[in-house]
Amino acid sequence: MNDLIIIKDLTFCYDKEYIFSRFNLNIKENSWVTLVGPNGSGKSTLIKILLGLYKFDGYISICQKILNTENLREIRSKIGVVFENPDNCFVAETVMDEIAFSLENLEIPKKEIKKRIIEVANLLRITNILEKNPHALSGGQKQLVALASALALEPKILILDEALTKIDNQDKMRILEIIKQLHHEKKMTIVNATHDIEEAVYGDDIIVIDKGKIVLKGPKELVLKEEKIFRELGLGLPFMASLSLKLQYYNLIDKMILDMDELVNVLWK
Amino acid sequence: MEIKFNQVGYCYNEQTPLQKEVLKDINIAIIEGKINGIFGKSGSGKTTLVEMINALLIPTVGHIKVDNYIIEKNKKIVNVNTLRCKVGIVFENPEDQFFNTTVKKEIEFGMKYFNYKTDKIEDRIIDALKMVGLDETFLERDPFSLSSGEKRKVAIASILTFNPKVIIFDEPTLGLDYNSKVNLIRIIKMLKNKYNKTIIITTHDVDLLHQLADYIFVLHNKKVVMEGNKNDIFSRVDELKKYDLPVPKIIEFANKVYIQKNIKMGYRDDINDLIKDIYRYVK
Repeated sequence: MNDLIIIKDLTFCYDKEYIFSRFNLNIKENSWVTLVGPNGSGKSTLIKILLGLYKFDGYISICQKILNTENLREIRSKIGVVFENPDNCFVAETVMDEIAFSLENLEIPKKEIKKRIIEVANLLRITNILEKNPHALSGGQKQLVALASALALEPKILILDEALTKIDNQDKMRILEIIKQLHHEKKMTIVNATHDIEEAVYGDDIIVIDKGKIVLKGPKELVLKEEKIFRELGLGLPFMASLSLKLQYYNLIDKMILDMDELVNVLWK
Repeated sequence: MEIKFNQVGYCYNEQTPLQKEVLKDINIAIIEGKINGIFGKSGSGKTTLVEMINALLIPTVGHIKVDNYIIEKNKKIVNVNTLRCKVGIVFENPEDQFFNTTVKKEIEFGMKYFNYKTDKIEDRIIDALKMVGLDETFLERDPFSLSSGEKRKVAIASILTFNPKVIIFDEPTLGLDYNSKVNLIRIIKMLKNKYNKTIIITTHDVDLLHQLADYIFVLHNKKVVMEGNKNDIFSRVDELKKYDLPVPKIIEFANKVYIQKNIKMGYRDDINDLIKDIYRYVK
């Protein structure tokens, strides 16, 4: 698989403080990467740099295009993004107009816009709030609207920046399952920056960053073995990883199992 | 301090085209000296319910008895600020309300606003900071430069300066990383155990309630549909699922073992106890 995002020697300062210094990272096409790290580790800054919101030193390419002013519009058309506080981004008076807004900016025909709105609304189960004012919705519903707007763009890359923080557990799991489906069916690359380590169980790879440096990187089953590092960084471990590690310690299983059904079946063969 | 809801309902924008009923027929009594959890999905009315306890919102139906106060529509509350000193609220994202240049000024503001009489304001602020694990060096720091966890602690310290009997935490762990969450859990436990505060927590974070709550009220479709001790609530897995609510992972696992393998492992609070159970059944 090709590298869809390439970051070479990224250096970025904020208030005279180095957030990244010669930072390197490649993200492969059709991968699902969970970016974790304590508050202030640089996760959100990295996302904003990828979206072209901050000036930086170094080289970044996204979808084979160098990230610069000239290519920014084209790159952004390939990225759907959901932030932690979607309120700050809402511009329309109804959910339907909100989802349509970015599609209209891309000059997509009206018939196609309507089709996409219906598709994403059905997918995220928000058909009942399409006529409502997005600002009047609950926190979880607002996040669903922001996600719908991002997915309606049919992006190559979906970036979540603490996007699921305010959503209740059941909706969070439902959304992560939908994203999983999109990831497989539409080959969408997912970058999920979060401090909720439980979300990492849904992805393929985990990148742990702290103070602008990569501490761990690799498939989730391998990365989550490094319990000590997770504890030192104050990140905790997903419940299934903790359970798996303890069961391995007592020789009840011989590998990390993050799926609950699979673990039950392995324990009681 | 007694907190009792009597046939309480709340409707936003009453008698307007935007009218929206969010709560009805609420009849609950908060358990004094315990950690009370208000559990429900986003938009289920959790925040509305707790904001009525210190009269930030007034019920549109029924009344609430809080100590000697009756909170009821069309009835003026005498000394509402005294009530608000007895029942403190730590809001969701409390840091959004910071506007002062130092932590000291930020905490002082609330005391001055409520005309709180004490000749030892600074001592009181330092005591409150210490209770949440911050020292005197924070007094002159810019609140906006603090980490999310520290900001949350300053917000709690602001409330503690009034020495409230009841502290309400509205979605307290939202936006906090694991370490800050662990710290907050420690602080809330200490407020209950050491200072005998009555705690009310609204949350959709089931694992937080599992670790903290003594007693839980479940909100669904405008009403309280379940209430009981934590163990009782979380052992009613099917009922919670009916309301589209999750159970803690540890209980979900035990429930899966029961459904798939017909092995009943019982209610477990701690992962180490679960491991012992698994060891016993598997070996």
